[in-house]
Order: sequence, then structure tokens, then C-alpha cells
Amino acid sequence: MRFTIRHEIKNRIRIHLSMKRMSFREADTLEYYLKSISGVRDVRVYERTADAVIFYDQDRSEVIRRIKEFSFENTQVPERVYECSGRELSAGYYDRIVTTVILHFGKRLFMPFSIRKVWDTVKTVKYIWRGLRTLKSGHLQVELLDAMAICAAILTGDYNTASNVMFLLKIGDTLEEWTHKRSVDDLARRMSLNIDKVWLLTENGEVLTDSSGIECGDKVIIRMGNMIPFDGEVDSGEAMVNQASMTGESVAVHKCSGSSVFAGTVVEDGELTIRVTQTEGSGRFDKIVKMIEESERLKSSLESKAERLADRLVPSTLIASAATWLLSRDVMKAVSVLMVDYSCALKMSMPISVLSAIKEASEYDITVKGGKFLEAVAEADTIVFDKTGTLTKAKPTVARVISFCEESEDELLRQAACLEEHFPHSVARAVVNAAFDKGLLHDELHTNVEYIVAHGIASEIDGEKAVIGSYHFVFEDEVVSIPDDRLEQFESLPDEYSQLFYAKNGKLAACILIEDPLREEAREIVEKLRKQGFEHVVMMTGDSERTAAKIASETGITEYYAEVLPEDKAGYIEKAKNEGHRVIMVGDGINDSPALSASDAGIAISDGAEIARQIADITIGSDNLEGIVILRDISKLLMKRIRFNYRTIVGFNTALIGLGIAGVMPPSTSAMLHNGSTVALGLNSMTRLMSDK
Amino acid sequence: MNLKGWGLFALGTLFGLEGIKLLSSKDAKKVYAHCTAGVLRAKDSVLDQVTVLQENCTDIYEEAKAINEERATKDDVEE
Repeated sequence: MRFTIRHEIKNRIRIHLSMKRMSFREADTLEYYLKSISGVRDVRVYERTADAVIFYDQDRSEVIRRIKEFSFENTQVPERVYECSGRELSAGYYDRIVTTVILHFGKRLFMPFSIRKVWDTVKTVKYIWRGLRTLKSGHLQVELLDAMAICAAILTGDYNTASNVMFLLKIGDTLEEWTHKRSVDDLARRMSLNIDKVWLLTENGEVLTDSSGIECGDKVIIRMGNMIPFDGEVDSGEAMVNQASMTGESVAVHKCSGSSVFAGTVVEDGELTIRVTQTEGSGRFDKIVKMIEESERLKSSLESKAERLADRLVPSTLIASAATWLLSRDVMKAVSVLMVDYSCALKMSMPISVLSAIKEASEYDITVKGGKFLEAVAEADTIVFDKTGTLTKAKPTVARVISFCEESEDELLRQAACLEEHFPHSVARAVVNAAFDKGLLHDELHTNVEYIVAHGIASEIDGEKAVIGSYHFVFEDEVVSIPDDRLEQFESLPDEYSQLFYAKNGKLAACILIEDPLREEAREIVEKLRKQGFEHVVMMTGDSERTAAKIASETGITEYYAEVLPEDKAGYIEKAKNEGHRVIMVGDGINDSPALSASDAGIAISDGAEIARQIADITIGSDNLEGIVILRDISKLLMKRIRFNYRTIVGFNTALIGLGIAGVMPPSTSAMLHNGSTVALGLNSMTRLMSDK
Repeated sequence: MNLKGWGLFALGTLFGLEGIKLLSSKDAKKVYAHCTAGVLRAKDSVLDQVTVLQENCTDIYEEAKAINEERATKDDVEE
């Protein structure tokens, strides 16, 4: 495609395509294409001007060549990219803000004063109504102060101030909404891009299928911890389904044959086979967005303290105003106190700070669901790690299979993989991958699979009862015995691996040695976290005491709990919270979900189980734990910035009030300084929190 | 005076009879639509200008950063 270079420096180029403007779809196509060029680091497409900025690391001529090759028609883009694009949303908000600004200043230039007066007075009604509504809650809230300030300005004939206050409040509102939408959307985008395989029930058993290939009437199996991807009707099975995304009800609902299930709801317990009644493309993305919004609302109705800081100012402003009137008997001076409105500055700088912090975090592959979680991370003094997939590499591998029966090791691995492939756990995935790598393909051999959280799996293969799981599950719960002639072999199993036991008909058949190497950075991260002020760094694992002790000593963790059940993880967190600690939980599996939701801020590793990501407040990239350290830094800096903004706003504006009352400064100057400082703080809040790496 | 009063009254009556019809006629609506379209176009062009401004500012900012980086590496070499 033809293009011109508009600006160029080393490793950055801005091009203009020879067209007047792009549609959102075209812009997404271009962005997708440019990002797929190897060596391109970052791309930004401006649809309005048909421009694109490209950051690249490799040879310039190669990049140029690839851009020349581009055409809208020949670029294949997955439909999801469009569905999840935030472009239209951002453009909408951008449009709204610019329009508000233009209207505000244009009105002042072109509209006759008499009409403006009526216009502003009419607009006041909305703010008065808002202010009065907050009275119902019984607390003095900042909306009341806004209403009073606007009223006071209108009544004293100062229409400019009234319209300035309303203008800033409106910008603040829009920004706040944008912040929220954007962070929720970012998250939903990640989540919806992540799920693309479902278990399709065919005549030959279950087949893992691309979800885009599912049609109405197909039967799909959903197990514990997974989201139901389509609307449908339950064909068989029973499960408890969390429908918070549909109904707002956080208690799981029992579903059995004949009940309807909805896309975006989550199977908390049990297993369902559903007959699909509506396939993809039916607003799946919107449903995920809705689900996140609901879970956010359910989780805590308490708003962030930072967001409510402004409320504290209400009583003192009212008192100050009354005192001024009593002392000076001058209504104008009393009103001038009311009119220096702290809240528009706070309302603007708060969301901007939070938004830019969330955006900055996302540059490090960290997704944060809301400002209050950054607050929780900043204040936390205890951090709890799940071991597998968190402290250890996300991808454990099968080191060896040891047979305890007549069957070959490969055959046993094949059977184990057949059982394990249904479950979203990293160890299970390791077994499946090992079988796949060895080319051990299998038909579904077993009957219905039963999954027991944190313990293992039970099913039947060729009429024989088969169980697979931890030592505790296989030998203590299922009372499996070891063949007499193999006792010696059992005793000599190597220590350095996690062990997974597979038994058939009550007899141990194989031990699968799982190698789960520690992340190289784990020790360093633990140390850094201590330096960052975490008093307790705790590790919890379902593994044996022996493996846990080894990992703990390697990472330098002193507090650890082995053979822990999921409920106990959550229990520990509850206990720590009751003792007054603020707790962060880091985990990746289904078995971590109770703990993630019990904690003040739950952090999930981004390739973990879906339910963990849904429940978690924050997700970090799977390749490096450094994300946690960065997150803590960003949170602390954000809190510092918020406090700085708060103090500056209150200090500066109080000084303005003082000068106004004393008669040193005319109202117009103080209004200008007030607005100027608000904008300056807003701009300052947009800057990066962390200095460049 | 009296004449002016009558004149105004006549105009008012005429307006009441025909003027309202005229203002809400199809042709008038076309005029309104064109005016609104003009306003929207103006807004759009302002938004375009804002984007162009933003692009140029980002260019300048990035270039400034590059200049400083270069200086920093030069200083390092000199030391």
C-alpha cells in the first residue's frame, strides 16, 4: 500500500497511508498486521488521520518493505481481534472530552451572555439533584458540596465560575468512567482471547475442539473451574454454577438435566454436558465484561479510600463557610469559601493518576481490575505464594515414569494422560504434553471422570478403577496398596521430584516423577519483596513436606505450609486478615481460587486456570515474577502521588480561600489560579510513575 | 404609533397562520439538517486538528528523548 513518511527518527517512524481516514476496522487490521512484523516493538494507529507510528528494533528496510506489502484485502485477521478492539470505545470517550472542551470555550466566545445564563442555570438542576440524592445515605458527600458551590455561584451571578465548576466535574466524570471501562475492557480482552478450546462430545468420545468450530446443537462438556462458553441447555450432569455475570447473585446455582445455562457463567463444582443453543459471536466479549463488572461489585461495595478522600473535606468546608459568615457577616465572603471547590481537582487528578498507573502496569504485562487493588497492594505486609506454577516454572515436565506393574512405561503414561487431559492444572498438562511428545495418542479409554480438588482424579479404564493423584489421595484416601515385590523399588524413589501416583484396581501401577524447576528469579524476588516491606513471605503447597522444605530453602522463604488443602489456604488468609495483616495471594490454579478471593488483592499468573484469573484482582505475565515487584513499586508510587495531589489541592486552595477572605486577591485571580492548578496537577498525574528502566 | 401597533399585530397573525408552517416545513427542515451537518463537520475537523497536533507533539517528544539519549551516551564515551 502507498504511504508517505511523516516523521522519522532512529527506531521510530510515523507513516501516513494514502487515504483520508480509516474505519475502526481498517485501523485494527493495520495494527494487527504491523504488530505481526517481527522486530516491531510497538504500534499505534490513528484512524482519524490514517497515520501509524511504528517502533522497531530491526532493519529499517525490512520494515518498510513489509509496510509496502500491506493491503486491507489480503490481511487475514481473526474476528476476535475486532470484537475485542477497544478502539471504538476510546475514540468515543476522546470525542466526548474534546466536544466538552470545545463546547465550553466555544460557548463563551459565541453565545450571548443572556442565553448562556439560562443555559447554565438549567444545567445546574442536574448537579443539585445529584447533591440532594447523596443526602439519603446519611453521610456528607462531596456531591453535596459541588451542588452548593454551583448554586452559590449562580445565585451570586457568577456564571463563569458555575460553568467552570460544572465543566471540570463533567471532564472528571468522563475520565472516571473511561478509566473504569478501559481497565475492565483490557482484562476482558485478555480473557476472551485466551479461551479457544472446548471439549466437544462426539460419537467417539470427547474431542478438544476449537470453539469457533462449534455449532448449535453440539454437545460440549464443561468441568469444574471453567467458564461455560455458550448459551445452552444441560443435557446431562450436575453442577453448581456461578451466575454472577447474569443475575448478580454470588451464590452458585444448582443445574441439572434440562436447566438452561448461560455463556459467561462459571462451573464452580461438578460437570455438565450442554447442548449449545447459541454459538459465538453473540456478544461473548460483552458478557465477560459484564461478569467482571459484577464480580467487582459483589466483591466489595466499599469504594476505594482514595476515591472518597474528598468526602472528608465536606464538613470542614461547611464549617469554614459558616464561620466566615458569623465573623464577617458578609454573605459574599462566606459564599467564596464554598466556591473554591476542592472536589473538581480531586475528581480529575484521582482517575487520571489511577488510569495512568494501570496503563503503566499494563506495559509490564500486568492487568489490574481497579484502583482499589493497587491500594491494597501498596498497603499489604503479607504475601502468600502458591508453589506450583508460581514459585516454580509455570511448566512442570515429566522427568521419568516408573512402572510398578507388568505394563510398559509408555502405556502407563498414555493412560495417565488420558485421565489428566481434562483438567486445568499445570501438572496435568505436563503429563499430557509428555505423552504427546512421545507420540502416544489415545482414544478416550475411560468413563466419567471425577475430579477431587487438590487431590486427584478417579475414573474407570476398561472396567478397572483408576486413580491418579498425590500420595495422600492415592494411598490414604483411596487405600491403594503397593505390590509386595516392588516395595524396595518404591523406597528408592528419588527425592528431588514431585511424585504423581497412578493406580489401577487398588494396586499401584506407576509413579510419574514430575520435575518442576524453580524459577531462576524466585530467590531474588523473595529478597526484593522483603526489602519492599513485606514482613511475611509465605509459601503454601499441596505437595509433600519434603518437596516444600526443599523449595523453601532454595528460595529463602522461612514460612511455609505443606500438604495444604484449598480451604486451608483461604483459612490461613482469613486468619492473617483477622490479625490485622493486609494479605496478597499469588496463585494460578483452581485450588487457589478460594484463597485468591479471600485475600485483599489476589494475583493470578496469566496462563493459569480461568477461574483463578476471573477471581483474581490482578493478573501478571507468566514469564517473570518480577511483575509482582514492579506492581508493588507502582502501587506505592501511586499512593504517594495521590497523597501528594490531595495535600497540594487542599493546601493550595485553602491558601486561596484565605487570601480571598483577607481581601488580598480578587476572586477572578483566585479562580484562575484554582483552575490552573487543577489542570497542572491533572497533567502531572499523567506522567509515568516509575523512571525508565 | 397606532399604525406600528397594527402592523406588528398583522405580522404576528401572519406568522401564527403561516410562519409556524413555514418553520416546520420540509424545506426548512432541510436547512436545519444542513446547518447541523455543518456544525458536526466543524467539530470533526477540530477533532482532526487535535489529533494532528497530538501526533506532532508526540513526534517532538520522542525526538527530544532520542536527542537526550544520544547526548547521554556521548557523555559516557567522553568520560
